[in-house]
This record gives sequence, C-alpha cells and structure tokens, in this order.
Amino acid sequence: MKNKTKKSPIDWAKILSPVFIILIAILITSILILAIGCHPLEAYHYMLLGAFGSFGALINTISKMVPIAFAGLAVAISSRAGIFNIGLEGQLLFGGLGAALAGLYITGLPALIHIPVCLVAGMISGMLYALLPTILYVKKGVGLLVVHIMMNSIAKLLITYLVSVPFAGDNKMIAATNPVQDSARLPYLLTSPNKLTIGILIVITTACIMWFYLNKTTSGYELRACGDNMEAARFAGIKTKWYQAGVLLASGALAGLAGSVEVLGTYDRFYDGFSPGFGFDGIPIAMLANGNPFGVLVGAFLFGALRIGSLNMQIKAGVSTEIVSVIQGILITLISAQYILRFASNKLVNKQKGEVTQ
Amino acid sequence: MNGIIVAMLIAILRLSVPVIITGLGNMFSVRAGVMNLSAEGMMISGAFCAVLGSYFTGNPWVGVLCGILGGVIVGAIHSLISVEFGGIQNISGLGLNMLATGLTAFLCRSMFGTAFSPTVASIQYTRILSNIPVIGNVLAQLSPIFYIMILLFLICCFIVDKTVIGLRMNAVGFHPQMVETAGIDVWKLKHISVLICGALAGLSGAYLSIGQLNTFMDSMTMGKGMLAVIAVQMGKQKPQRTVIIALIFGFFDALQLRIQISSIAIAPELVQTIPYLVGIIALALDTSKNAAPRLLNPYLKNKYKF
Amino acid sequence: MLLLLQEGQNMEIAVEMSGITMRFPAVLANDSVDFMVQRGEVHALVGENGAGKTTLMNILYGLYAPTAGQIKIWGKEQCFNSAVDAIRLGIGMVHQHFMLIPSLSIVDNISLGEEPRRGVVYRREEAVLRIKRLCAEYEISLDPQAVVSDVSLGTQQRIEIMKALYRQAEIIILDEPTAVLTPQEIDDLGVMLKKLKSMGKTIIIITHKLKEVIDFSDRVTVLRRGKIVSTVNTKDTTADEITTMMVGRSVHLGGNKTRITKGVEVLRLDHVHYHDGRIEKLKDVSLTIHSGEILGIAGIDNSGQKELTEVIAGVRKPDKGSITLNGQELTGKTISDIKEEGVGFIPQDRQISGLALGMSIQENLIMGYHRKTAYRSRKLLLDKAGIGRDADSKIKSFDIRPDHPEILARTLSGGNQQKIVVSREISNASQLIIADQPSRGVDIGATELIHQKLVEARNSGMAVLLVSLELDEVMLLSDRIAVIYDGQIMGVLDSETATREQIGLMMAGVKMEEGADSEK
Repeated sequence: MKNKTKKSPIDWAKILSPVFIILIAILITSILILAIGCHPLEAYHYMLLGAFGSFGALINTISKMVPIAFAGLAVAISSRAGIFNIGLEGQLLFGGLGAALAGLYITGLPALIHIPVCLVAGMISGMLYALLPTILYVKKGVGLLVVHIMMNSIAKLLITYLVSVPFAGDNKMIAATNPVQDSARLPYLLTSPNKLTIGILIVITTACIMWFYLNKTTSGYELRACGDNMEAARFAGIKTKWYQAGVLLASGALAGLAGSVEVLGTYDRFYDGFSPGFGFDGIPIAMLANGNPFGVLVGAFLFGALRIGSLNMQIKAGVSTEIVSVIQGILITLISAQYILRFASNKLVNKQKGEVTQ
Repeated sequence: MNGIIVAMLIAILRLSVPVIITGLGNMFSVRAGVMNLSAEGMMISGAFCAVLGSYFTGNPWVGVLCGILGGVIVGAIHSLISVEFGGIQNISGLGLNMLATGLTAFLCRSMFGTAFSPTVASIQYTRILSNIPVIGNVLAQLSPIFYIMILLFLICCFIVDKTVIGLRMNAVGFHPQMVETAGIDVWKLKHISVLICGALAGLSGAYLSIGQLNTFMDSMTMGKGMLAVIAVQMGKQKPQRTVIIALIFGFFDALQLRIQISSIAIAPELVQTIPYLVGIIALALDTSKNAAPRLLNPYLKNKYKF
Repeated sequence: MLLLLQEGQNMEIAVEMSGITMRFPAVLANDSVDFMVQRGEVHALVGENGAGKTTLMNILYGLYAPTAGQIKIWGKEQCFNSAVDAIRLGIGMVHQHFMLIPSLSIVDNISLGEEPRRGVVYRREEAVLRIKRLCAEYEISLDPQAVVSDVSLGTQQRIEIMKALYRQAEIIILDEPTAVLTPQEIDDLGVMLKKLKSMGKTIIIITHKLKEVIDFSDRVTVLRRGKIVSTVNTKDTTADEITTMMVGRSVHLGGNKTRITKGVEVLRLDHVHYHDGRIEKLKDVSLTIHSGEILGIAGIDNSGQKELTEVIAGVRKPDKGSITLNGQELTGKTISDIKEEGVGFIPQDRQISGLALGMSIQENLIMGYHRKTAYRSRKLLLDKAGIGRDADSKIKSFDIRPDHPEILARTLSGGNQQKIVVSREISNASQLIIADQPSRGVDIGATELIHQKLVEARNSGMAVLLVSLELDEVMLLSDRIAVIYDGQIMGVLDSETATREQIGLMMAGVKMEEGADSEK
C-alpha cells in the first residue's frame, strides 16, 4: 500500500524571519527618529500620507516602484544562481545614459520602434558596464563584491564627467544632457492626477517572464541548481561558467533597463544624480524576497512608498530623507543575521508544537 | 623640482595613513578568519564620532578617543552578527557599511543642517617637532596620528610574530575546530580581532576628519576602507607587506591630487577615478592563490546549531 | 602523574558515564547511556554511522554539554564546560579528522593552548625541548621543527597522540584511528597502543572496523541508535556477533554475485597522466574493465582515486593518454556527453558534488539527466508529472525515506541522501558505473542495499569501477582488485586469490613483481 505522506511541512522559519527583520528595522528606525528629537508616529503618519494619502500619491508610489523593481529583479536573478550583483548602481547609471543618448541621437524613427531601441541600448550599456567585473570573476576568480563597489564609485565620477563635458546639454545651469526626442519618451498610462508610464507594465511582465523561466524551463532548473550547489551542478554536466557569466550580464542588463525606464519615463533627459540609490534599494528587496520575482514586486512597492513618503516626512516632520539609506543599511545588516533569526523562529515554532519527536 | 619631490613624499605619507592603519586592523580580523568589508563603515563612523567629540569638548584628543569608540561600536555589531550568531560575513560587512554611511549622513544633516559639519579643533600638525634641526619643519607637517601609526606598526609586528595571542589568532583563522579542541575559546579570539580592527579603523577615520582636515563631510572615506581590505588580501595578511601595498595606494592618491592642482588639463572626475582603478587592477593582478587559505566562514557554537 | 587520592576517588574506574542523554533539535543522539572504562584497559566503542559514539566521546571531551546524566573521572563526579576541563583532568582526544594546521610547524601545532610563555611572549624553544624528551620516553619519532603539510598521515597521527601526551593525558580517546592507514601502519599503531598501555594509559577506541576491535581491545561496548546494547570482553565474542549487535539483525553485505563469465572490454585507460596544479596525481595509469565485472580500487586516501574517477567521468581532463568506452574515445568529451554514452558516476562526496541540498528529492533525482526527453514536455519545459512518477518509482525501489518526493534533500539522513545519488546514477547508466566510496558515512542498512544494487548491475552485464578506503568492502565486492599508490597502479589481482598482505604491501608503495599480474 502506497503510504503517501502529508504535503511537505510549511517552512515557518522561512516566512517568519523576513517579518522579524522588518519589525526590528521599524523599531530601530523609530529609536533613531526619537534620538533626533522627532516623534516617530508623527513621522510615520506623514510618510504614509505622502505615499498613500491620495490617489495621486498612490500613482507616484507606483511610478517610483518601477526602477526599484527592476533593480530588485536584477539582484534576484543573480542570487538564484548563487552570486550577488551589487554593482547595480553603476550599471543603472550607464544604462540610463545609454538610453538617453539613443533617444537623443537616433533620429527619424517612429515611437513604436524608437522606444524599444532606446531600451535595448540601455540594457546593452548596463551589460557592458558589468562586463569587466564579470570577466575578472569568471576567468580569474576575483571577488565580485569589492570590484563592484569600486565600479559603483567610478561610475558616479564618470557619469558626472560625461554629462558635464562630452554630452552636456545646452542649458549650462543644470547638469544634464539635452532633452531626448519625443519619439523616445515612454507613453503614459495616466497623466492625471499624476503621471504613470507604461514602465509599470514592462516591469510586471518582466517579473512574470522571470518566474516562468526559473520554475518551468529546463534552463531555469539548471540555473537554480547552480545557485544551490555550483559544484554538484558542474558534476551534473551543467555549464556553470556560462550561467555565472550569463546571469551577471543579464543582471547588468536589467539594471540598465531600470535606469532607462526612469530616464525615458519620469524625466525627459538624463539628469546627473537622478538616482537616489535605486540600485541599492534592489539588494535588500531581493534578499528578503529570497529571489522570488513576485516577492520583489511587493518589496519594490513598499520601498517606492518609503521613498515617496520620506519626502513628505522631511517637509512635515523634519526627518531627513537620508533615513532611507539608513533603513537600507539596517535591513541588509539584519538579513545577514538571518541564520540566528531562523534559529529563533525555529525554536519558537517548536515550542508551539511541543517537544521534537524522534 | 626638489620642492615637488619633498611635497610628493609628504603627500604620500599623509595620504597613506588611513589605509595603513585600517589595513593593520583588518589584518587581525582576516587572520582570525573574519572577513571585514565593513572597514569603510568603521572609518566613517570614526570620522564622524571624532568630529562630534571635538565639537562638544573642543579637545581634538577627546575626538580621537571618540573616533576609536565609533569604530569599535561598528566592529562590535559586525562581530556579534558574524562571529557570535553565525551570520554571513560579507553581507554583514556590506550592510554595516551602508548603515554607517547613511547614519552619519543622516545625523550630520539632522544636527548641522548640511552635508558638512562645522569646523572643529583638529590635530593636523605636530608643532613640537619643528624644533628638530634640518628636517624639523618637514616632520612637523605630519599629524601626531602619523607617529602613533609607526608605533602601532611595530606593536602589530611584535604581536604577530612573538606573542602567544598572535599565534592563537593566526591558528583560529586556519582551523577553528582545531583551536577549540585545544581548549581555547575560539569566539573570544575572533571577537578580539574584530574589535581591534574596529578600534584601528576608527582611529583611521578620526585621522581623516580631524587629522587631515578639521571637519566631517558626507562619504569622506572615498573607498579607502576597501583599499585596506585589498591591501590585506594582497599582503597575505602580513603586516610588512600590507603596509607596502598601502603606501603604493597612497602614491596613486597623491598622484591624482597633484594632477588636479597642476596645470594638466584633465577633468577632475576622471582623475579622481584613479585610486579606484588602481584598486581593481591590484585585485586583477593578485595571484596570491593561497596555499594556506583562511577559513572565512562562520564557525557556529554548538548551542546555535539546528 | 601523581594522583592524590581524594574523597570518593576510585582509582580503578577511569571513566564512568551514567544516564548520558544528548538531545539535539532534530535527533536524540544518546539515550540514557551507561559507559564505564577501567584503568589501563583498551576499550572499544563500536556502532554504525550515526549510532552516537562520537557524540558520546565529544561529551567526555567537553565539547558538548549533555542534556542529562553525569560523568565521573577516577570516581569523582566532574562538570565539563569545555575541552579545557577535560584536558585538565587528563583526558586527551585524537579526532578522526586530524586537528592540525598544515602550514604551521609540528611544535606550534602541539603546543597550541599550552604554550610555554614568559608574559605575552611565546617561548617556542622550550616546547621543542619538551617534545623531544617525550619522544624519547615513548619511542615516537618526530621532528618538531618540520611543517605538518610535509609529513605523512601516519606521522600526523603520531603528532595527534603526542598532543595528548604533551598535556599529560592519562585517558586517551582515539576516534576511528585506522581510517586512513595502510595495513602496515595499522600494525604500527597496534604496537604504539601496547606501549601506551604498558606506560599505564587508559585507551578508548571508537571504531566501526571489527578487525581492530578483535586485535586491539580488551573489552567492547556496542551502541545502536543512541542506546547501549551491551558491553562484553573481546575474547568472549566474535566479529559476526558484534555486527549483529550493532545492527539488530544479521546483515548480508556484498550482494549476491552470480557466477558469470567475464564479458568484453568496456573501459580502457591507456597511459593516463594527470596533474593538479603542480602535483602529478595520476602517473601512467593503464586499466581495463569488462562487462559483468566489478573492478575494485584499493589504496590509502588521497592516492589519486578521486582524480581517477573524475578523469573518466569527464570532470577533469587528463594531460596525456586515452580513455575509451567500447572503443570510443572519451577524453575531450563533455560531462553530459559521457553521461549520454551510458556512464553513471557516484562521486566521492555526495554533499559537495552529488546533491543540491536545497532542492527536492525529485529535482535531485533528475540532476544530470534533466535534458532527457522523458522529463520534458515541450522542448524547453520540464514535465513535472513525468518527473514525479519517475521519482516515485525510484524512491520505492531504493527504499528512500522519508518517501515524499517534494521534501528537501537536506532533511534526509546520510544514507538516504546517498541512495538518491546511487539510484539516479545506476538507473541511468547502461555501460559503466563509477562508484567512489559509495558507503562512506552511510548506515549498514543502506550499505546493504547499495551493495545489492551494484552487484545486480554487475550481474546484468554492466561494468563497475568501485573505489573504497575500506579494504573489506573492496575484497568482498570485487572480481578483480587494482591497488593505487601515489597515482600509480601498483598491481592488479584476482580477488579470489588476493591476500590482505599482498594488497597491504602495494598500498604502502611496494610494486608487485612482474609476472604475478593477473591481467589476462
């Protein structure tokens, strides 16, 4: 008689630990707000108002979520293969610039063709900027983390230079390129009460494609095997080096797409400093979501709310918007401690269930 | 010509100090098997706390102590997560970096309203040395922290080569299980090494804010913490080699500053990328495929296993 | 060592552990164990993998705090907080995997934790003197200034024993001491144990090798699933009796070999050379395996076995020489191609090279063969239903437990994890199976099944290459035995006529005389 045992038990530890992390982060943030003499509840009140207080605010939040979601997906795809791409910020900046330049200098194309061309140009730019670290890692085994951190710093400097000298716009008062042609700008889904481009549709589609790829295809299976145990995957005949390189470049392309969608959607040209750190937002989101594309969308939505809301929080409650960087740092630090959080939640769950039976 | 060479030498010495001091600290940490990417965060924390200390008491030496404390606090968190709780070292380091950078920027804006702190009392020069004949004027241009650094270097070499605790900290990085079976508290050793790193990186940060300048600026560490990490890796965690590589990084830093103030017409941003590029090139060239690799993974206490 | 008799001390009972229970979150490792060792005896503690023997000794050495129970040393109750307490009481432990730092010198390795010092300064010279004195006293030969990575495994074991003597241990625990030794080195160890015993030491040996139990010990205690089965005098019992006590039933290892005539040549290695970095790992290796035959490879650990199996499977590429399967050249083909030719590979370390622990059992069962049409629905997609059905049949035929295909591989025991790898590779292979230490870290029940399946494959005409560090296993399963030493094949023997001594000599590096080769 076939003994069909029950469905695999729900891994409570896996679900509880992100919740713990978010709760602890909120606690620490509140203490910080108190420390500078403001009232946490008041601050959160204004933040929520800024993010969700009206339909217009909600639209802004959704709009803000788009580049963050792309960044999160970029980290997610690489993390499923067991590597971390934290060079997103640099790749994102170059992607945005690439898209802007394609939007500026390629003329005579109808929007239907021009927009995809620009987006692809952005993806390629982001991918190219990821090329050097990728080669160093795959060929020479050089640690990715440090190189990416350096590349991010270099990118900021290079972009500032490129935008102020070779590609400087005619308006010398602002650090930006010239405006792109109308045929390159992303069309709007809504224009009032606030603007929302099709960027949101693109990112949701991308998440769906990623989910399908990872869970339903043979190649996605191979990628996940690499992420779980690179050595065992190699022994199984999977071309691990190809996947490592491929995933890092794909990740760079997605980061480039993040920059492109923001530049061609929210703005009309490339402004130096348009990214307040979207690349860095992607990291904790992807980690908390465990690389699940839909989890990334949820996380990006929350982070978008955080970014929009923090503007209001600064004006009304006097809490500087730098708090978002602090929250990023708190989340990532707490995520690194997830082993002990899983241990604690495991203990909690077992206490509820009674003693572990043999 | 002579003047430029002397000026360059002084610049190299001045600019190498942060990477050397942080490098020495990081060396202890990696030797004991704890990867420390939060060196940058420790430094910026030290820089900010040093300015705060000097701001509130008017005494730069109090600032230095506060700076050290700032670094130790970051080190304590990193150690708590990575050593005690078996967390992921690289991510903990990264997170603390972002946290410290963000927190100092946030506090700076909240307290002082801008990204710059007001100027405070500093210790940029060692005036008593100017009495020494001939080279006195040159020596006086270096901060007292520079001279402390030389002392620190000698102490580090002594600890590493000649002491019992140096032997144990070294062993724990190779084979923590072996050290545990010898009856030694592995975690205490690791904690100590990370806290030493925090203290030294904090001192290094204090130098950045009140030893080289007299103010705090948002993100003033400019990758120096990462360069220290690279220096330790290339120097195979030996103090002498680490210092040499740090001096080479210092050279390139001095070079890029000199280019900026000279009449060579290259955009400042491009020149400023030089230190980072040098760091990447150093990593690419680093063929130190260690025959004796350090165990940079968490070593769990039995009570935390499940 | 002078022991002043204190209140309640009993000088005849070195160790008395009563009611020791060790409960881990997932498993009850020791269940109310009573264990007693008399002064001056050699006491063997046996049980199969996972029975709880190492856990019990780790408790004695202070590395774990027991959930319940008490420990008396020399009659007096003691409380252990860490290894420091055990060392202070005169207990020393030689671990199965040596606790040595290869890049440091022997003297540093031995004195770590008990360094002679003046203030903070380490006085290495004093330690060197002390070690030299102990070496003379116990007739051990060691050069304290040498670096550990330069010395042999047998010497490394002597270093480990010296560590205990340096700390004046009276009670010495040895955990699986013969796992990495040649038969001759095992004899040397026996001599050393006699010497230690004559100097008044009390010795506890943890082992699962019955030959050592019979040869070396005075008494033996058997553990099974965390509980004591019994304690007997060694001379009053036999190996078979002990095995039955260890497993709880009589066990038949070695499958059922049918008498079949050796078939055609399936695999041929010709003058294969391979070097890893700067070290040559395979030196001019030539071998053949025929269909319906098990070729066993005997040898001490790290003689090139891993490289040999991996070179055939395509994981590593040989520098020189050829490897042919049924006449077709394998060198230069990819790992997947070789799998497609019908070669199954059970790698040496399942957790590192054989399984993705975070994935489910069924996802692990297809790994390496996931591109087969049986597992696909359309060209690029996986057929989950088909994979599930296949997994169910494999789980049934190999008795993998727990038997739900969607649970994570991580949660399974060592034996069941190995069964996943074995079932996957044997089911998909059609020409050759390479099995590298298939029963390592696996309980006897699973070992019995794995042996059975390997022999079934051989009976049905497949060629099998078996690598094992357990000489008994090699002699039991193989039709022919090749011995490898330092990357070279020392000789090939017919298993029916080969003797332990012959094999032992070759394992230690003595080449077989010309003409004695049974390669026909």
